[in-house]
Amino acid sequence: MSASVLIGYFDSEEKVLDATRAVREAGYALHDVYTPYAVHGMDDAMGLRPSRLTWVCFGAGLTGAAAALSLQYYTSVVSWPLNVGGKPFNSFPAFIPVSFELTVLFAALTTVAAFLIRAKLFPGNKRVALPRVTDDRFAIAVEPREAPADMAAAEDVLRRHGAVEMARVEVAS
Amino acid sequence: MSSHVHEVPPAGSSGGFEVSPAVRRAAMVAAVVGLGTLGVGLALYPARALSSLLTSGFLFLCLGLGGAVFLALMYVANAGWFTVFKRIPEAFASYVPWGAVPLLVLVPFASKLYLWARPGIMETDHLLHKKAAFLNVPFFAIRMVLMLALWAGFTWVLRRNSLKQDTERTEALTKRNVATSAVFLVLFGLTFCLAAFDWLMSLEPHWFSTIYALYNFAGLLSSSVCAITVAAILLHRAGALPQLNTSHLHDLGKLMFGFATLWAYLWFSQFLLIWYANIPEETAYFIPRMHGGWAVPFYLNLVLNWALPFVLLLPRPAKRNPAHLLRVAAVLLAGRWLDLHLMVAPSNMPDGAGLGMYELAGIVGVGGLFTLAVTRAVRSAPMIPAGDPYLVESLHHHT
Repeated sequence: MSASVLIGYFDSEEKVLDATRAVREAGYALHDVYTPYAVHGMDDAMGLRPSRLTWVCFGAGLTGAAAALSLQYYTSVVSWPLNVGGKPFNSFPAFIPVSFELTVLFAALTTVAAFLIRAKLFPGNKRVALPRVTDDRFAIAVEPREAPADMAAAEDVLRRHGAVEMARVEVAS
Repeated sequence: MSSHVHEVPPAGSSGGFEVSPAVRRAAMVAAVVGLGTLGVGLALYPARALSSLLTSGFLFLCLGLGGAVFLALMYVANAGWFTVFKRIPEAFASYVPWGAVPLLVLVPFASKLYLWARPGIMETDHLLHKKAAFLNVPFFAIRMVLMLALWAGFTWVLRRNSLKQDTERTEALTKRNVATSAVFLVLFGLTFCLAAFDWLMSLEPHWFSTIYALYNFAGLLSSSVCAITVAAILLHRAGALPQLNTSHLHDLGKLMFGFATLWAYLWFSQFLLIWYANIPEETAYFIPRMHGGWAVPFYLNLVLNWALPFVLLLPRPAKRNPAHLLRVAAVLLAGRWLDLHLMVAPSNMPDGAGLGMYELAGIVGVGGLFTLAVTRAVRSAPMIPAGDPYLVESLHHHT
């Protein structure tokens, strides 16, 4: 499936923020906004909901901690108890460093993986590369409604907010 | 919290914020009553009163020093986000000479607090006899005076340069403070280690831990960021700091979260190695603290200083909510007191000592002194450092 989006290019952070708000206020759906660096206030301007990635991270961290603690408990208390320096088999303080490491490892790897999957950044997924958005251009991708007049109106909104260039691109939706 | 940008005050508006006279009167009464009660305690229960004075004296001195360390860290990092509320850490730093007093009072009473200072102990205790060249009252007093003078000097210079910038409006003063901060941070790192070893660790003169000073440094950072946050929110509510926005609070919240975790990391690093090696000369520190009357405070310490703040500050909105930050900061500051109480009090009171009259007198008395010094500094200088080149960046701070 593919859709036609309208791309407006801007040459400054302030203009792209204003234009993003204006596009949404005019009732168009934003496909996405592409910027060379993280622009403060863009989440608000795009009306993005708070990221759910934090919950993935939290859940993965808890899973890591639980996995590490249960593995250590099982190996040193249930499966093969060893007397080490007269310490109790369930030596909780000694389990903490490993649990900490596994918590961080699970949380980090899962979060990165979840982000890549959610953003569809994996091999085989063809993405449109917009020229110059990794350099000095800011781009807004608008999903205009079908009518040709509507396209013209969307272009007008972008132009009024200082778009230096516009293009129509087919993207995978 | 307002998000719009406020006008920068014009040059020459030199007056500070008029803190309500009720607050100043209450601080004065607290200081007199608290320190007076400790004075009585000094005659009746010297070990307990001195433990309380050391705990609270060190806690508030660390808040003052923490203000200076916070400023110095921001200067050397060329940070601009904090400039709006930089008068708060500066006001804290102005407490350092005041905070020297409760600690200097300890010197003539050292024999009632420190085992190594007891008359006759050096003749009977071979281990202490070996340390006598370092652990003796005159040298202890000299080290204390030199360290306090060094810190008071540096904190005075940092604040003076910043206040001078309000009228002179030159970038050169910022550069001078960057250089001063770099020197201060190096000297402070070394002298603070010495202070933690001298004033706190020498309470257990047979015992030693090389990570002890670092662990205390984490407590200093965590508690002073909390105190800065509390002061910023209260001043904002009183109308003195309308420019403080949610992003400033968010970053302070992140620092609270991070330093609480650093504290837990260092606390655990000290505990795990001693617990694991299980050598009597090292475990002697933890055994009285983990059993009997000290067991509950021992575990509560971990809850207040790390577990609770970690969970409470984890969500993003939590770090942006002033009422919530005030609560978490209160938990962490209470935790910092308990942490110091656990370092100090068991040495002379191995059977346990709760939050009694003398402990409260220490907190209230020295806390009153701290409040007096801070309100005095807030009143004497404009809240907004109008000449700071980073001010505009700070007014627009956005996370």
